[in-house]
Amino acid sequence: MAWQHISMETKRPQLSPDEMQQLRWLLGGALTLLSVVTVFYLDVEAWTLMALTMLATIAVLVRPTWPARVPKLAHTLAFPLIAAFFLGDLWIKGEMLPAMVRLDILLLLYRSISYRQRRDDMQIIVLGLFLIVVAGVLTVSLAFAVQVMVFAGCALAFLLAITIAEAESNRRVRPNAPNLGEPPRWAVQLDWGRLGTRLQAVSDWRVLVLGGVLFAGVVAVAALLFLAIPRFQLENSLFLERFISKKSRTGFSDSIKFGDVTEIQQDFGVALSVDVPDAALAPASPYWRMLVMDEYRDGGFKLSAALIHAAVAGERTAAALLGTERAGAGAPAYWTFYLESGVSRYLPLPGRFGELRFREAQHFRPSTELAVVALVAEPATMTAYRVEGMTLADALPDPAFAARWRKRDPSTGADPLLQRRINLGPEDREILGRLAAELGDGGAAEFGRMASAWLMKQHGYSLSPQIPRGAGDPLVRWLASREAGHCELFAGSFVLLARTAGYAARVVVGFRGGTWNGYSNNFTVRNSDAHAWAEIWDEKRGAWLRVDPLAADAGATAKEIGADGAALARRTDRSWTARFDSLRVFWYRRIVNFDARSQEETLAAVKTATQNTGRRAREMLEHAASALRAWLAGPWDARRWAGVLAVIAGGTGVIWLWRNFRYVIFDFRLGRRGRREDPVRREAGRLLAQLREGREGDGRGAAGPEETETRAELQRLRFGARETWREPVAVLRRARGVARTLRRRGR
Amino acid sequence: MEWQGPGAAGGPRRKFQWSLLLWSLVWPRGGERMVPTMPGIVLIGLSFGLGTAAYNSSSNILFITLSLLLACLILSGVLSWLNLRGVAWRLEVAPPWRAGHVANVGLELRNGKSFLPTYGLWFELVARAVAAGGPARVESTITGKGIDVRAALKKAAEAEARGSVALGGRLDPRDAARLEWSFTPARRGRLRVELAGVGSLFPFGFLKKFVGSELRAEAVVWPAPVEYRRLAAGGARRAGGGERMARVGSGGDLRALRRYATGDSHRLIHWKASARTRQLLVRQFAAESSEGLALWVRTGAEEWPGREQFERLVSFAATLAEDLFRAGRLQTVALDEAAPVAVRHVRDLEGWLDRLAVVEVRKDSVVGGAPAAGGVRAPMMGRKNLLTFAPDGAHGVAAYLDGNKAAAT
Repeated sequence: MAWQHISMETKRPQLSPDEMQQLRWLLGGALTLLSVVTVFYLDVEAWTLMALTMLATIAVLVRPTWPARVPKLAHTLAFPLIAAFFLGDLWIKGEMLPAMVRLDILLLLYRSISYRQRRDDMQIIVLGLFLIVVAGVLTVSLAFAVQVMVFAGCALAFLLAITIAEAESNRRVRPNAPNLGEPPRWAVQLDWGRLGTRLQAVSDWRVLVLGGVLFAGVVAVAALLFLAIPRFQLENSLFLERFISKKSRTGFSDSIKFGDVTEIQQDFGVALSVDVPDAALAPASPYWRMLVMDEYRDGGFKLSAALIHAAVAGERTAAALLGTERAGAGAPAYWTFYLESGVSRYLPLPGRFGELRFREAQHFRPSTELAVVALVAEPATMTAYRVEGMTLADALPDPAFAARWRKRDPSTGADPLLQRRINLGPEDREILGRLAAELGDGGAAEFGRMASAWLMKQHGYSLSPQIPRGAGDPLVRWLASREAGHCELFAGSFVLLARTAGYAARVVVGFRGGTWNGYSNNFTVRNSDAHAWAEIWDEKRGAWLRVDPLAADAGATAKEIGADGAALARRTDRSWTARFDSLRVFWYRRIVNFDARSQEETLAAVKTATQNTGRRAREMLEHAASALRAWLAGPWDARRWAGVLAVIAGGTGVIWLWRNFRYVIFDFRLGRRGRREDPVRREAGRLLAQLREGREGDGRGAAGPEETETRAELQRLRFGARETWREPVAVLRRARGVARTLRRRGR
Repeated sequence: MEWQGPGAAGGPRRKFQWSLLLWSLVWPRGGERMVPTMPGIVLIGLSFGLGTAAYNSSSNILFITLSLLLACLILSGVLSWLNLRGVAWRLEVAPPWRAGHVANVGLELRNGKSFLPTYGLWFELVARAVAAGGPARVESTITGKGIDVRAALKKAAEAEARGSVALGGRLDPRDAARLEWSFTPARRGRLRVELAGVGSLFPFGFLKKFVGSELRAEAVVWPAPVEYRRLAAGGARRAGGGERMARVGSGGDLRALRRYATGDSHRLIHWKASARTRQLLVRQFAAESSEGLALWVRTGAEEWPGREQFERLVSFAATLAEDLFRAGRLQTVALDEAAPVAVRHVRDLEGWLDRLAVVEVRKDSVVGGAPAAGGVRAPMMGRKNLLTFAPDGAHGVAAYLDGNKAAAT
């Protein structure tokens, strides 16, 4: 047979069936571990199960003979017990999805501690995929992207190992189900170090590189499919969220006790990412309003029932909400917000807007008067919404309150909707009256400045304030002291002082500031940016004025919008954290928030880019052609002729050198590298293979004398001593001709 | 035998056309088929479920998972194509085969790819008897009304042996491998071994892919040997007037000289002749036996009405011929009216067994009557030491030496 067997010395070894089983065991364990770590970011109470599964999986990976010690009774009772656990869990907790997640982890645990057959391996993949997809859908976290990629890679390798192992066992005897109580041979012989060495020995780097390229291709094709799959808005979302209830991890709820906001500040996780249409519109020190609280009682502020009744609209389900502002001329400017899950059900908004649009229909309660929007339930996933016609100002016009204020009875402050009630005892009122009198009465804006200055003068800033002991209201005690305090104390004290002075005032909570991500060009607001400030009613302007006693730069509140490039530059973040955050924003922008409109925009962008590229290429060609025409039409003097002839001669010389001396050149360059890389030998080997294939394809019987002689000369070049070579370049040229002839005949 | 498969060189190359490629996705080429396995069905079900959930919820997480699953399916197709690319195969049949004995079919594989190995192929082989009268008459639903389809199919299934061999490990690039399929031919005759298809679950086991093959080889299956008993009366008789044997053996008479070959005993070297001719020559001796037997098989239908008995006759004739040749007593063989053939070499005996392998009952036989009763006619007429056959009871067959019963099954 002309085909040459590879000699045993050069042949790569193959994994034995036992080693294939060991590889399967390893990959199955890795997939189990990879799946159960979803519990880390999936907000489900399954920590104990997760820890147990991880420990068990690691233990049986290290000691694969241990599953043989599991008694037979345990295998018999396993599935009835798991089913009973699931039903009990569902009955006690009443939540379908967390119970299913725990069931999934239990099944993974059982599969990881028992010897598996093909269908059990498949179960691991399906169970793991379920966990990851559920976690991804519920959290839309960037971790999902990483995890699903790693999982896909591992699962494909696992399936490949299963297929090869099954093919291997087909050749021999198909393995029976493992006997209980007796570890299989591969488990007894398992030595991870040895398996690693063997894997290294059987691997070919070219195959591994091709595997990597193909996996990159899978990711690219998946991305293309993702872009190309047609989208329809069926308006029937929230299918998984129905099965799970979630509570805010932060303190942004209807009522706030002093210290709640400060507690949020300890968390440096990202709370909100905001895409601003134009960097020039980005406020230097933005305030992201979330919740307005008007009622002070028992040492804390909250949104009063009366105000909820009067100012907050009923629940509605829609994908869009019209605001009070009207869009200006020109192209609409969109602000896109990505609010992380677990922050709050109140949506951060810097001011009034024209239209707020969700990616999908949501249940929410809006309040035009308070300029806040609250989702009915705590969102289980990141919430994306796009706002058009955003207005940024330190004053929030409120015609409804203005009308109410004009109709007020000046003799009484009892109307709760006027937001100037003080639920305090006479002693505290007296203290407040004394302090408010010091601040004068120059109008709301002036009072705000004076009170802020006074508070900053009296108190320092501290995240761990000391409230003096004694009788009366704690906030008043702090106000009267010189103790340092946090934002809530400052804002609350200001509201009490303003109300004592006869102004309507309220506490607002949300975020202040944030950093400008220099990579993804968006605002990144962290939980540590949580803040509380106050708003005071300015009768003259008919608007609520923002007053932040803790504002570092008093001028910043007055001049927020645009043009403050220096302030923005100071806020620009180019750290490694910003790089990671930019990835998250990319994930939100391009993947999570991708919809039919984005699809159309992408297609339009691709079309435009293609057209532009084609146009530029045409222009370049036309330019080159006109330049050539101009050059040809120019005077052909001796110098030009000499230049042209020199170029032709140079090109011909290079071609001649390449055709005749390339082996010599390579030989010189590679001479020190030894015989294996000799280009002449390599070329001779390649041509020998071509002749061999050509001979097989020819089918005309024996080789002719020229072919036989050429083959002998090639063998001399391939294997013979260098001294015996005869004109290698000519031999190789002749061999190429013979190979070409054989190929032609074969066709 | 020619190489076949995607890597076989020299085959007719089709010009690449996109329309052909697309059409082949809709209507696969002959013999090619893809069947989803259980994991494949699960994957398809998962994809449908995810797609439904994705559209229902507008969740891009589900869309991206769906895209990833579909991309994995495409990768599976690409890897499967890469796995088969450059692979060629051919059959190697090495007769003689004998009915009732294990026969081996060799399948040579080679991987012509430059650096990619090939994994997990299996080859489905079928061996079926070649009908003596050519392919059966074409029947339509009208003409085939009276045919018992089940019985016909059962008969066809019984007449063929199916099996598969798998490439268990890895076939390295530029490497070759040989697989063997063993089966037991049920009956004598001409047998066609076909490579029915090449299957693969590679890479992920989602789809079972079959590639059709037109690779086939024919071989002759000799009759199965039978047990028989020799009868002293016929066997002990020394026949006179038989032909003398003239073939190489281990007797005492020098028959010829020949060149020395490796393995020849040094004692056989003819030193004098070697010295004269300046090359080593060894002596060849004539066979010990001096008288040979002629074996004549007649296949007339009136003599062998039963199929089973006829098969026994053929097996008996083959066995007897082999035994006699081994004993150095077989001189000529003849079938019906055909001219007798001298059996001097092994190839002559093999030729006789080949003829017996395909012999059928003759309906138009002119040879009639049992030899014991009626005697024989041309071309073996008048020969001495002639072995003929006749039914022995309802099932048995007896061999007669010049009309005397010499052996029986």
